[in-house]
Amino acid sequence: MNGPFYIGWQDRADPEIKRFIIRCVLLLFSIGLGFAILLARMQRTIGVSVFEWGTEKKFSGIMKAMPYPHLIVPRPGASGATIGFSTYYLVAPFKHGLDPGSMASLDGRTVDLRGTLIYRGNETMIEAIPDSIKASLRQMEPPAGLENVSLGRQTFDGEILDSKCFFGVMNPGQSVPHRDCAILCISGGIPPVLLVRQKHGRPLYLLLASADNKPVNQQVLDMVAEPVEIRGEVERQGELLILRADPSTYRRLNSRSP
Amino acid sequence: MSSQYQAVQWNRQKRIYDLLLISGVALYLVVFAVVTEHYFPYVTEEILIMRAFGTLAFLLLHLILCIGPLCRLNPKFLCLLYNRRHMGVTCFFLGLIHAVMVVATYHAGGDINPIASIFVTSRLTGSLAGVPFQPFGFFALCILFLMAATSHDFWLSNLTPPIWKTLHMLVYAAYFLLVLHVTFGVLQGEAGLLYSVTMAAGLLTVIALHKAAAWRERRNDRELEGLRGDGFCDACSVDDIPENRARVVCLSGERVAIFKYDGKISAVSNVCQHQNGPLGEGKIVFGCITCPWHGYQYRPETGESPPPFKERVATYDVRVQNGRVFVFPKPKMDGMSAPAILTRQ
Repeated sequence: MNGPFYIGWQDRADPEIKRFIIRCVLLLFSIGLGFAILLARMQRTIGVSVFEWGTEKKFSGIMKAMPYPHLIVPRPGASGATIGFSTYYLVAPFKHGLDPGSMASLDGRTVDLRGTLIYRGNETMIEAIPDSIKASLRQMEPPAGLENVSLGRQTFDGEILDSKCFFGVMNPGQSVPHRDCAILCISGGIPPVLLVRQKHGRPLYLLLASADNKPVNQQVLDMVAEPVEIRGEVERQGELLILRADPSTYRRLNSRSP
Repeated sequence: MSSQYQAVQWNRQKRIYDLLLISGVALYLVVFAVVTEHYFPYVTEEILIMRAFGTLAFLLLHLILCIGPLCRLNPKFLCLLYNRRHMGVTCFFLGLIHAVMVVATYHAGGDINPIASIFVTSRLTGSLAGVPFQPFGFFALCILFLMAATSHDFWLSNLTPPIWKTLHMLVYAAYFLLVLHVTFGVLQGEAGLLYSVTMAAGLLTVIALHKAAAWRERRNDRELEGLRGDGFCDACSVDDIPENRARVVCLSGERVAIFKYDGKISAVSNVCQHQNGPLGEGKIVFGCITCPWHGYQYRPETGESPPPFKERVATYDVRVQNGRVFVFPKPKMDGMSAPAILTRQ
């Protein structure tokens, strides 16, 4: 009780207190440094994805309007077993998708557009400038393998997320912290995707559509960023996987997805 | 200590305090950013900023909450308390930057007003992962703003210390809201064990330190017995009080600090008029009781601050008989002289 006494407005602290302050500051800086390293290193949801923000490119391809607008771009020189085209999801700037209804008039036609590339693994997307989407003067031949191939009825556990953020606009762009953004994006027309993490192999991305191949944006909002189980018809269109199911049959899981 | 309002009453130690605070903040942010960019080069900048500032604000709030009980357990920590309000304001601004990034990134650009979106976008779904966590953070930031905005002594004086103190005790509500914000937010996403362990350790540390300090304080709150016929209470032995220091006792539900100095004994209210600091843990410096928190001073005989300052604390009548100190349990009117009693008779 009778030790040195600290008074902040005095010019100098007692030497014993000064030594204590130095030890305190060093300890606090070490703790802060330790937390900065640990908390940064232990982040788990940051993947490899890119949004080429500020880099606008021109694209030409065949517009497919349903279930969500996407662009089919033939790959030059593709032959044999390789898929002869790339698929680009199409979205508008910010938290908006392209309206499948307004794109219906361009369905199956060759279009030119300008936009910014977004990609994660093999998943590719273009944030298109809506006014730049025009029917092209030259018509492309539909590449081989463009027709949908049924993969049968299957069940998947995963997380519903908005494809735009997850594919690269935000990283990380998934899970609970990102849920509000994902809900706003999906309600704004961004294609909802089911992320399925497999024990072995790459994760699967399944574009969610209704049983009759319509968008399901408004029906899935309450299940975004939570573990869900979906059973439905799976179709492959090139590299694009589409999971068709009535959203009322989606089942919320109690446990977290693996 | 100042007799007039200034934006900041700078002195050498405040400058050192703020320099170290800013250095610590900068060091954390830079290290967090460098480590994240090194291990996760594809992270987007807005989320990196959001996380760096959010984690630091929460860590700093832990430190702010721990300083109080640490000072009760060991007065050497008072050096951390002296300019704690600058730490609190810093914590608010770190939280504000985190919140601005969250709103601009997650809530802007949609069809809903970004602020309204915080409250209406997520709905309760009945699952743990479905609990909307962002409103917790919003309300916590509102409290931190109130505290930062009223942190100056101008507000302390105009709101009066009891109201100001009550307002600033809301920091515990803010902390509770932030615990919920983190638990239902990032812990649901960053499911790593370290995040959960860190969060639990922080919470337990805050609770344990407060419990330990409260346990220690409880000794002072034992109501004195032994009321004599003249109305005075037997408080303690003269030898129980160190020279130029005080012994704190509880009389009529109030803590009273009994000081021994220059062969005299005086008793004053234990509550400093500045921020309700514990005067009984202070010391007689330059003939004045000096509050351990911010150095506010009072004359032990009258309870008045030396001119030009105008603060006053209540005094108590004291008698010394046979080496025992007796205190009259009713305080005298603020500022009225209470006779100092010579201890040698």
